[in-house]
Amino acid sequence: MLPLPRFDFADPTDLAELVRLAGEPGARLVSGGTDLLPSMKHRLFAPTRLVSTMRVPELRQVEPLPEGGLSLGAAVTLREVAAMPVVQRDYPALAKAARTVATPTIQAMGTIGGNVMLDTRCRYYNQPAGWRVALGGCLKCEGPVCHVAPKGKGCYAAHSADTVPVMMLLDVSVVFATAHGERHVPIRELYGVDGRTWLQVPGGSVLVRLEVPPPGAPIAYRKLRARGAIDYPQLLTAVQHIHDTWRCVVSAVGPAPLRLEATSPPELVEAAMAEVQPLTTHLASPAWRKKLVRVELARAMAELGIG
Amino acid sequence: MPTDRILSFTVNGEPVRLLVEPAQTLLEVLRGPLRLTGTKHGCDVGDCGACTVLVDGAPRLSCITLAVGCEGARVETIEGVATPAGPDPIQAAFDHHVAAQCGYCTPGFVMTLRHLFAENPTANEAELREALGSNLCRCTGYTKILTAAREAQAIYAGKS
Ligand SMILES: Cc1cc2nc3c(=O)[nH]c(=O)nc-3n(C[C@H](O)[C@H](O)[C@H](O)COP(=O)(O)OP(=O)(O)OC[C@H]3O[C@@H](n4cnc5c(N)ncnc54)[C@H](O)[C@@H]3O)c2cc1C
Ligand code: SF4
Ligand code: FES
Ligand code: FES
Repeated sequence: MLPLPRFDFADPTDLAELVRLAGEPGARLVSGGTDLLPSMKHRLFAPTRLVSTMRVPELRQVEPLPEGGLSLGAAVTLREVAAMPVVQRDYPALAKAARTVATPTIQAMGTIGGNVMLDTRCRYYNQPAGWRVALGGCLKCEGPVCHVAPKGKGCYAAHSADTVPVMMLLDVSVVFATAHGERHVPIRELYGVDGRTWLQVPGGSVLVRLEVPPPGAPIAYRKLRARGAIDYPQLLTAVQHIHDTWRCVVSAVGPAPLRLEATSPPELVEAAMAEVQPLTTHLASPAWRKKLVRVELARAMAELGIG
Repeated sequence: MPTDRILSFTVNGEPVRLLVEPAQTLLEVLRGPLRLTGTKHGCDVGDCGACTVLVDGAPRLSCITLAVGCEGARVETIEGVATPAGPDPIQAAFDHHVAAQCGYCTPGFVMTLRHLFAENPTANEAELREALGSNLCRCTGYTKILTAAREAQAIYAGKS
């Protein structure tokens, strides 16, 4: 058995109380727990208190935005997102992406906010404690070297959240609550280049809601994975064509999803091939994943009827 | 020191009150103090679906569900599926088609299918396969499970 390390638990019903508890030393937010609890069982984290978001009404709310678009509470489950008629009608790529996360059961547990805040992943990091200790750990946890890039000082653990590439093309605004009021962060600016410090907001920041602007041009979304269920992505691509611009996001290849733009489909593919550098963070070979960048982008463009 | 909590919820319709530690999972509480060992303990980290139960009608992996988070909830496990009149049609179909070999995955599959047929009784083949993607089986190769699921679905449809 993999017991959880011991911790205290709080499930406030008030947003101000949630923010206060989340700011206390040793506290950690938990929503569906589908990312956090397996990692705690693997001793990647040992918070002294878990603070659940699931009973705070603001985080469970879904409502239209005054200027058009949709506000999605952070603790709305992926299954709820995918099933909403308004999401299916206005943001079908988001519904599709939510339905590719893990399995239907995990989609019924995991939340959209938890997906945005998902930890970066690596084959040397997401392992049981004994496995990691035998290897001497790595830079992201308890060790002196990175096994992916041993000469470097950085961590390249991969952003693996399935819904984020689509939300980047939708220009979603991520709303955090702090003790001093609300802070809006464009989702394209939320992630940074190191797998340890990829979130560009302070620890303990409470994601309250995602503001999705009114729908624009269609988006094609694709997920590459070993099996049709359960598996985290080996490569994520999302593509959109607006007037003279072709935009894409390529993810699961580093700590931040890569956002690229070009003035023609071939240029977009070449830009991606120049930028994307898969590493040994996954079991699948980097060379194969690199080849699949071209293939997946072409398939995504074919789905949009371009390219 | 973490503070224990009194948890009140219902399990298969019976009200239950017991003291739990925040770090206890629903799976540990079901299999431990409640002695409901029908729910299986597989991977323990959310990969396999052997520990699937229903909480307020929705499927949950009990190995990564905190028991303290189930305050006031309605939990259904494999022990609550059969009635005095006999097994549920899903269980009968699994038996009939030998869809269980070692049987370790079976309670999880049955709970997943209970939820699917309650929510979407007319699930088509693609929806059935998508739902079964939540559960792993190392023995059967899934064909017999799919056959049993289709038969159970037909029996459910005939009953309603
Ligand atoms: C077997 C398995 C396969 C999986 N496969 C995939 C996959 O293919 N693709 C994928 O994207 N995900 C996958 N996941 C991960 C996970 O299910 C999803 O990413 C899910 O959306 C996470 O949401 P959650 O509510 O469960 O997050 P939690 O586990 O509750 O939290 C995740 C992180 O976010 C923080 N957090 C949670 N809520 C908030 C908030 N409101 N404000 C600030 N921080 C917060 C937590 O502290 C934690 O660090 C998988 C999980 C499992 C167990
Ligand atoms: S990329 Fe390197 S430092 Fe980061 S998790 Fe993997 S092995 Fe560890
Ligand atoms: S034991 Fe819970 S998913 Fe495997
Ligand atoms: S019957 Fe053995 S794992 Fe499914």
